Amino acid sequence: MRILGVFEKSERLRHIGHLDLMRAMQRALRRSGLPVSYSKGFNPHINVTFASALSVGAIGKREIMDVSMEGEVTAEEFLQVMNKSLPPELQFSFARAVDDRHPGLMAMVAACDYDIEIMDESAKAWMPEAVRLFGEAGEVMADRKTKSGIKSVDIKPLVKELTIEGGTLHAVMVQTEAQGCKPDMLLTALTALAGQEEKPRVMVTRNALLGCDESGSLVPLENL
Amino acid sequence: MADTTFVAKIEAMLEKVQKASRYTGGEMNAVHKPWDETELKFAFCFPDTYEVGMSHLGMKILYALINSREEYLCERVFMPWVDMKALMEEENVPLFSMESRHSVADFDVVGFTLQYEMSYTNILAMMKLAGIPLLNADRQRNDPVIVAGGPCAFNPEPLADFIDCFMLGDGEEVELEVCDCIRDWKKTDAPRMELMKKLAQIPGVYVPCLYDVTYKEDGTIASFAPNCPEAPEKVAKRIVTDLDKAFFPENIVVPYTDIVHDRIMLEIMRGCTRGCRFCEAGMLYRPVRERSLEHLIELANKLESSTGYEEISLSSLSSGDYTCLPELIRALMKDFDGKHVSVSLPSLRIDSVLKESLEETQKVRKTSLTFAPEAGTQRLRDVINKGVTEADLMGKITDAFTGGWSSVKLYFMIGLPTETRQDLDGIADLARKCINAYFAVPKGQRAKGLRVTCSASSFVPKPFTPFQWEPQDTQQMIKDKQAYLREVLRIKGVTFHWHEPELSYLEACFSRGDRRMGKVLLRAFEKGCILDGWTEQFKFDTWMESFAECGISPEFYAYRTREKDEILPWDFIDAGVTKEFLWREKQKAEKAEVTKDCRKGCNGCGIQRYKGVCSFANPGCV
Repeated sequence: MRILGVFEKSERLRHIGHLDLMRAMQRALRRSGLPVSYSKGFNPHINVTFASALSVGAIGKREIMDVSMEGEVTAEEFLQVMNKSLPPELQFSFARAVDDRHPGLMAMVAACDYDIEIMDESAKAWMPEAVRLFGEAGEVMADRKTKSGIKSVDIKPLVKELTIEGGTLHAVMVQTEAQGCKPDMLLTALTALAGQEEKPRVMVTRNALLGCDESGSLVPLENL
Repeated sequence: MADTTFVAKIEAMLEKVQKASRYTGGEMNAVHKPWDETELKFAFCFPDTYEVGMSHLGMKILYALINSREEYLCERVFMPWVDMKALMEEENVPLFSMESRHSVADFDVVGFTLQYEMSYTNILAMMKLAGIPLLNADRQRNDPVIVAGGPCAFNPEPLADFIDCFMLGDGEEVELEVCDCIRDWKKTDAPRMELMKKLAQIPGVYVPCLYDVTYKEDGTIASFAPNCPEAPEKVAKRIVTDLDKAFFPENIVVPYTDIVHDRIMLEIMRGCTRGCRFCEAGMLYRPVRERSLEHLIELANKLESSTGYEEISLSSLSSGDYTCLPELIRALMKDFDGKHVSVSLPSLRIDSVLKESLEETQKVRKTSLTFAPEAGTQRLRDVINKGVTEADLMGKITDAFTGGWSSVKLYFMIGLPTETRQDLDGIADLARKCINAYFAVPKGQRAKGLRVTCSASSFVPKPFTPFQWEPQDTQQMIKDKQAYLREVLRIKGVTFHWHEPELSYLEACFSRGDRRMGKVLLRAFEKGCILDGWTEQFKFDTWMESFAECGISPEFYAYRTREKDEILPWDFIDAGVTKEFLWREKQKAEKAEVTKDCRKGCNGCGIQRYKGVCSFANPGCV
């Protein structure tokens, strides 16, 4: 069986990189004493996967991981034991036992829901106009860094929702293994649309990871 | 938690620095206490970066010890890297603690651990960033009390102008007594000087402002004496007699980011009976005290389950000498079998009964094996009392190659007293013999990828060693020796590493420096020297300018031979070993005479004067 868990990566830990976070989670799983399963091979490690790497500097409200167990563990037990094995800055809010045949988390991610708080006063002033222009534009080109170099892509179809309220952008953006738009790309595009030189300082919060349900609408991944 | 605008400022800075995870905190097992509800706040400062400081066992012990007292709070502080330091200065953000992010100046006690001399400018940098007056003479009643401990506290004099009180010896004993004393003083209106006099009466505590030094015309010390009745003439180090009863943490902070030693460090014993004549730790940490097998197994299991670490190392000056080592390793292997925890032995001694243990460790992981013959010939090994023979060494190396290792590291020192060209040739000989030993193992049985790494550090004479009177080799001599070694070590399969002689030179000045070195330290710091232990930050020319501007000669400290009757800056400290013993050892060194391991009989080093602390002592020894 596997346990799918939802945790928060708090503001204090937003600079911890993905690999360090994975290691911290592995150590927490070891501390928990839960019957986790290890990979075979010379350097065995716990079979834990994260649905999606969170960029360094961002807060994650509902990050998702999944871990294989050798024995039976209930969701309640997992939550209780893991939260004791983790510092207050890194806590689980939800867990669910799933079947071994449950699809891999990484393949299920379709989009992410973000709050992007603008920290610069001047940018707070010009951002609403940039959002309006974004909505009206037929296409919005932005650079995406890939393994093979920088590729210019149209992010317009990737941004499913974009609003601004009180200096905070709210965006739902496509994020799959094949394509996606990250907050940084969106900000570059918005800055260019507004005719500004410098990207504003922001605080990014990823509120949720989303997957597609049977009807094709985006729902929180942990419910699928 | 510190106020929100302060935290917001820190958060904004963290977006701009390299390795921001050094400053985030929020690690597992970090201790968070309600600030206002504690009676005494202790900022434990490690004067180097997070990655270095978090790897240090002493800090883990003392952090947990102070926090074990409900009414005391201890938080960690590290030296920010240059980028962060610059931002903090620009934004007027004072040095802050990892846990609550309180300004260090808000703590009652600021404690520095002195692990190596090249961290001294960092101490000044941290105090300055904290907004604490650097000189103890300038600090007021409300300023934190600056305390320091650790091996370098055994020659505290270069830091005498800056530190209020030094703690000598095992910290578990004295740390809480110092805290209690400061807490009691805080409840009174007594001036700071009253506290200094109270602190000076705690055994093992040295308060430099209560002592005066005069100098002769030739620059050596004429007199060193207390200037008030409260200060003792001699300060004796504190000794933990029973390690099983001493405090040891059952959980330790687990960092997120990579640190130098990212594993459980289980201190199996303290002290060393070998008596290597260059080794300051071997003299300072006497007597040898072992933790019992049962206690170690219990601690290891507790630490494993509280940290989730996947590796445990046995820590001590010479783990191979631990009486029940094979039993310990077997027990740990058994307990950790199936938990995927590997057991490693860091300071592997080549002459220990380890063949069996070697076979055990390889079950888990095969890293390279490290041997420290220290010198290339038997004669020089006898001079330094490194009780290791070539036959021993080659036997162990052959065992390692037969056992499936293909990579060995050999540590040497150059610039040792009496060293000649032949001793350098001996280093190349040993390297060549390692290669031969590898090829002597039949092809099918040996692992692929032979690598012999020879590292040569430069000898720095240290206080409280038989070589405390010796001159250091000049930088030119060291450079010539390194150049020679580069030539003779051009052997296929051998890599040679050496150290920059400039850093060793400066280290020599501080390790045997007196109070006047404080002026050089302050000047160099004011001229921008920090993080000197990091090659890319080390500004040797600035250091030399600082010496010149203070009218102080570095050669006086590094290159001078001391006479027997000279008052050495650390003579007022009773470190356990006596000056007579050290002088005896120096004379034996000159004749290349060895001194036996204390386990084979008491050598009368001086520790026997303390009743019941050393299991090998013969009280009748002189």
